[in-house]
Amino acid sequence: MTTDPLPESVELHEELAAYLDGELDAQAVKRVEERLGRDPAYQAELQRLERAWDLLDRLPRATVNEAFTKTTIEMVAVAASEDAAAVQSAWPRRQRRQQLLGGLGVMAAGLLGFVVGHWLWPSPNEQLLRDLSVLENFELYYQADNIDFLRLLDEQGLFAEGESDHAG
Amino acid sequence: MTVSESSAQRYELQDPDVRLMLEVRDDNAAAFDELMLRYQNRLVTVLEHLVGRREQAEDLAQEVFLRVYRARKRYVAGAKFSTWLYTIANHVAANARRSSSRRPEVNLTVRPNDSTGASALDKMALAASGAMPTRQLDKAELRDIVRAALGELNERQRLAVLLSKFEDMSYADIAATMEMSPQAVKSLLSRARVNLKQILEPYLQNGTRPSE
Repeated sequence: MTTDPLPESVELHEELAAYLDGELDAQAVKRVEERLGRDPAYQAELQRLERAWDLLDRLPRATVNEAFTKTTIEMVAVAASEDAAAVQSAWPRRQRRQQLLGGLGVMAAGLLGFVVGHWLWPSPNEQLLRDLSVLENFELYYQADNIDFLRLLDEQGLFAEGESDHAG
Repeated sequence: MTVSESSAQRYELQDPDVRLMLEVRDDNAAAFDELMLRYQNRLVTVLEHLVGRREQAEDLAQEVFLRVYRARKRYVAGAKFSTWLYTIANHVAANARRSSSRRPEVNLTVRPNDSTGASALDKMALAASGAMPTRQLDKAELRDIVRAALGELNERQRLAVLLSKFEDMSYADIAATMEMSPQAVKSLLSRARVNLKQILEPYLQNGTRPSE
């Protein structure tokens, strides 16, 4: 009997295929079965789909031989030993990298600590360094009576760097 | 893929192959051998009908098992084991198809042996038209015709059919394997069934084919 195509063929076939595959919910199953009972064309289409599907049972099923199993296990064993070797060879490299990163980390932390510490607690030596020329000529300043006299000495180059030896 | 703990526990509880794979993850070699023995014939069957050649199917199956082993440490029970396995197989077969497409002499479409040069399906068409006398099919011929009909489907339809027919997978499992929606699988399988019906229709009537 040839009854194809039915008007709503795409939806119809999806419905019939899902029915045959057991993928419809109870309500849809009921709807399909009601129609199967009253629509011979619908029923014939279902049977054609089912018979074509059943012919797939004629397709041969493979049975592999022992060589396949053995070769596969050997391939996996080789892969396992390669993995193990890769992990081993990666270990010293990883260690070196970790050591390097650790060293850089310590250096960075030290530098940061120095900068922060320097900012929070300035060194008292810095003030001494700034006042070094005064300290070096302290004896001369001490003997001066007033600041105008010192300015006069300065204008004459008496306190210039490297001049103090000549002045003394 | 993110897998909830409850879903992983459910798969572990329900699927013995998931439990075996978790043992493989813990470097249990015997568990891997057991899984391989359980799946090797099934996998080669699907791959053979998918790619069309037994030798290539075996090579691909070995590649799949190798990938399973190599992925063992990352394995999480996010699906049935068979779904996970055939997802890998689908990727391996797709890679093989891409490689083959760069070598035009390789033809993945299955054709039955035919000394006349015409495909069995061409003869089917003639038989259906009544232009040639008919005779009863023998088993081998029918098998070749069905194999050729399967080969006429596009690759996605073919894989969906194989997973449904040979692996008894639900639409949801096929969808997960082929990375598509269950609704798309429903449409795909429906079209595949219609195509198979149309190709095989002459044989559905009276089991005959053209005489040679």
